Amino acid sequence: MLLSLLMAVLAEADAGIVKRLKARDPQALAEIYDRYGRIVYSLILRVVRDGGIAEDLVQETFLRVWNRAQGFDAERGAFGPWLLSVARNRAIDYLRSAGGRERNAVEWEEVDHPSLFIHMERDILASDHARVIRAALLKLTPQQREVIELAYFEGLTQTEMAERMGQPLGTVKTWVRTALKNLRDELGVAVPA
Amino acid sequence: MTCEELQDQYELYAMGVAEDPEGAEIRAHLDRGCEVCMKGMKRAREVASMIGAAVAPAEPSAKLRRRILASVGVEQRGFGWAPWLGLLAALSLVGVFYFEAREQSSLEELAAVRNQMRQQAVDLTRLNEAFAIMTGPETKQVNFGAGAKGKVFVNPGSGVLLMATNLPPAPAGKAYEMWVIPKGAKPVPAGMFQSQADGTAMHIQRGPVDVNGLTVAVTMEDQAGAAQPTSPILIVAPLQ
Repeated sequence: MLLSLLMAVLAEADAGIVKRLKARDPQALAEIYDRYGRIVYSLILRVVRDGGIAEDLVQETFLRVWNRAQGFDAERGAFGPWLLSVARNRAIDYLRSAGGRERNAVEWEEVDHPSLFIHMERDILASDHARVIRAALLKLTPQQREVIELAYFEGLTQTEMAERMGQPLGTVKTWVRTALKNLRDELGVAVPA
Repeated sequence: MTCEELQDQYELYAMGVAEDPEGAEIRAHLDRGCEVCMKGMKRAREVASMIGAAVAPAEPSAKLRRRILASVGVEQRGFGWAPWLGLLAALSLVGVFYFEAREQSSLEELAAVRNQMRQQAVDLTRLNEAFAIMTGPETKQVNFGAGAKGKVFVNPGSGVLLMATNLPPAPAGKAYEMWVIPKGAKPVPAGMFQSQADGTAMHIQRGPVDVNGLTVAVTMEDQAGAAQPTSPILIVAPLQ
């Protein structure tokens, strides 16, 4: 009960900061960084595995958010998940660029546009949810966990995963389908849709 | 395809890694406002967000916060340019009193200090221009990296910013020349620049530019500049 109340307060605080961010209040960016800078850095570091590059990409992420906050609906949107999506996509872009498999950046417009994060639970990044997803990932088989990590942290398609793992595409698809179903089942208990 | 056939792919689509035909089908369902797919995608984005939030925590350097905030003009009192300008002004005043008390030869040193201040003022102006291009809402950026490495930022209204490392100083009489190459057209000269002793370089070409299909390139030319490239391309950065 207390935790729910605390999360509601934090969500309201988020909405207030986002309004100020949209009004181009630089101090709001400072508060956003203090709240989310660590998790954004942790995520990007997990993808690029280089502290210096990760910090450059964190800076790009926050500048992108600063420039694109106008499109975010502070009343209905979940700011944290949007920020994390922007961060993850910047990091994957870097990996793809460094690996010579760059794609059209327009593709990301489809997956990290602020409007896609409306009506999402605002406290989805709370630490208790992180514990639940860690536990759910640990319940997967090593192959199932690997394909999820290759998709999320390396941005690989199923065809690219099959090449990387030296496995038939059908086998990889089965692992992906089963892994996602198991994750949905586990998270469905913890986080009502 | 039906929504049921697509539901296994929602999370992959949310992560930007769904392949066609399923990816295209989901896009089409969403475009026509399919409620089942929209609900499924909302859930998929939540799952993706939670995977991202479950990473092992790591700590960025304290400098990163200052870097980010400085780039949008916050914390001027702590880390902006104002204190440096104030310091320079104070140093200048100290210099004035100090040098006035000395012989004629000291006036030359004062002139050197003033020149240094002018140069720093120019550098500050360039940095401000660079930040304006980097942070513009319509700015596009592209990385380059074979030999010289770095980034190019292009803002349709403000101009082109090139930042490079590993670009050795040009020999005497030579300089680097930047080119903007519109789609299907000849290279257009976009200014000369030199790199620093440590191989870093920053160059700004001010003015409106058409970003569509644009490529930015760099060659080494005679110091006076060339109308068209006369030597091998050292940097090429095509905008997507």
